[in-house]
Amino acid sequence: MGKRKIPVEGWMLLPTIAILAALSIYPFVYLIRMSFMEFSLIPDQPSRFIGGRNWLEMIKDSKVFYSWMVTLRYYFISLALQMLLGTVIALLIYQVKALQGIVLIIAAPLFLAPVLVGLLWRLLLDPSYGIYFYWMNHLGMFDFLQKLGFSEVRSIFGSTSLALPAVITINSWQWTPLIVMIVLAGLMTIPPQLIEAACIDGAGSWQRLRFIVIPLLKSTLVVALLIRTMDLIRFFTVIFVTTGGGPADVTKILAIRIHENAFRFYKLGYASVLGLTLLGVTIVLGMVFVRAISRR
Amino acid sequence: MKKKRNVKSVMMRVTVIVLVALLLFWFDFPLFWMFLSSFKAPQEIYTLPPVFLFEPTLANYSEMIFRRGVLRFFSNSLLTAGISTLIALALGSLAGYALARGRFPGKKDIAFWMITTRMAPIAVVLLPFFLIFLSLHILYTLPALIIAYISFNLPFATWLLWGFFETVPSEIEEAGLCDGCSKFEVFRRIALPLVTPGLATTGILCFMFAWNDYMFASVFTSQQTATLPVIASSYMAGHRAVPWGQVTATGSFLFIPVLIGGILIRRYLVTGLTMGAIK
Repeated sequence: MGKRKIPVEGWMLLPTIAILAALSIYPFVYLIRMSFMEFSLIPDQPSRFIGGRNWLEMIKDSKVFYSWMVTLRYYFISLALQMLLGTVIALLIYQVKALQGIVLIIAAPLFLAPVLVGLLWRLLLDPSYGIYFYWMNHLGMFDFLQKLGFSEVRSIFGSTSLALPAVITINSWQWTPLIVMIVLAGLMTIPPQLIEAACIDGAGSWQRLRFIVIPLLKSTLVVALLIRTMDLIRFFTVIFVTTGGGPADVTKILAIRIHENAFRFYKLGYASVLGLTLLGVTIVLGMVFVRAISRR
Repeated sequence: MKKKRNVKSVMMRVTVIVLVALLLFWFDFPLFWMFLSSFKAPQEIYTLPPVFLFEPTLANYSEMIFRRGVLRFFSNSLLTAGISTLIALALGSLAGYALARGRFPGKKDIAFWMITTRMAPIAVVLLPFFLIFLSLHILYTLPALIIAYISFNLPFATWLLWGFFETVPSEIEEAGLCDGCSKFEVFRRIALPLVTPGLATTGILCFMFAWNDYMFASVFTSQQTATLPVIASSYMAGHRAVPWGQVTATGSFLFIPVLIGGILIRRYLVTGLTMGAIK
């Protein structure tokens, strides 16, 4: 036996592995290299290595810490809201069988391009002609907020107290339907005999929910949570086109800060350092995800 | 006794109807408003209180198609999304099949690597890609955008099709092997046709991710190579009044094809959007 023959599977896998190596490992190494460099906008002046200065700058930059806090707040509130609402809606649809037809209808926002989601909500919430702003104003919401001690609301995306709730609401508008669909899929796998048996044993609807349905849904809910977390980290388009991170940085999640450093200030080296930290979090979550669904 | 129960069930019914109305309103009204606005003349968009009844006009659509030359951007969108999808499907089905049938070490590591490639924050991916494309002199061209889309569609397609191939019992394939087919022929003639729904689901979702992308396109394209989402947001630039009619018309134009695609694959939508984690 001279050399081992590569099995057919190896050949089938090869193109994908080669392309992904070029599109993921190479850029990753490139990114690490970028993080030790300073880039220049002037064509004649070459970019240069500056050692760990970008890393040092990040540690000293209090704005970065602030952005992480905004990021976490944005993730946690969005996730809590979507998981809770999505599960409740799914349970309602599950209880009332006639409602299954509406799932796809309420899922329509999933298909709208994120940039359009942002633009559409800018239209809805525009302070001078937006229909939602108009309705909220007529329902007395803004007067109510003022009574609670908030400053006068002139525009929602321009308000330091309402901008973050607004982008969280928009994200939840688009993605709660996904949780509904995931939880419904999980509910369908619960054998009906189990529920019937509990009924016969005299379990009330709350007890059935608490002791049978929820425990059986646990793994489904974990998957839903992880999927949403991954996408929250990945996408930032809606914030980018609505508030752009403002006002006064209250919606400046880390992704927005990275983009701003790279493509507005052209501090690509510094952006790479911030990017690597965000990527680190992603990799850890990837491990959790693969372990959570290790069905293979 | 009987009457009491009737009252209770009527109450239940009313509650359910109210809840459903609320749900439909909350999730679908913004989309309805987008369509409605795309048929409005500018003055009707800026009217207060907002109007629901007006004489519909196709001016926004004709303006979008004829004056702004949107057909070019439409073809950019179609080409980048279409080509990246086809490549992802072709290579992803081969790789997915290999992962489902092959017995070799490191399978888990490959899976993990792929999932992180697909998960990587777009803000981070943009950075090295930008400089790499610049040094290859392909920044602001369509091939650059296609490469960027392959970077997330190929791992997605591989991962998802792997799951679909695993649902095909290998006994069916073994029957094929006996007839003297090569392994590749078994893949092409037997396994591939059996996962047609999986291919459709993967293809439609890959297309959707690329078609709906804004961040990559806004950094990697120029005025000539821009895609529709970039054009939609470019209407916002400048100090004049936003031409909302054209923004919403472009939005509706982007939205309808993917919505139809989503409806076509409704049975596998959850599987696809959770990368196969939910069957």
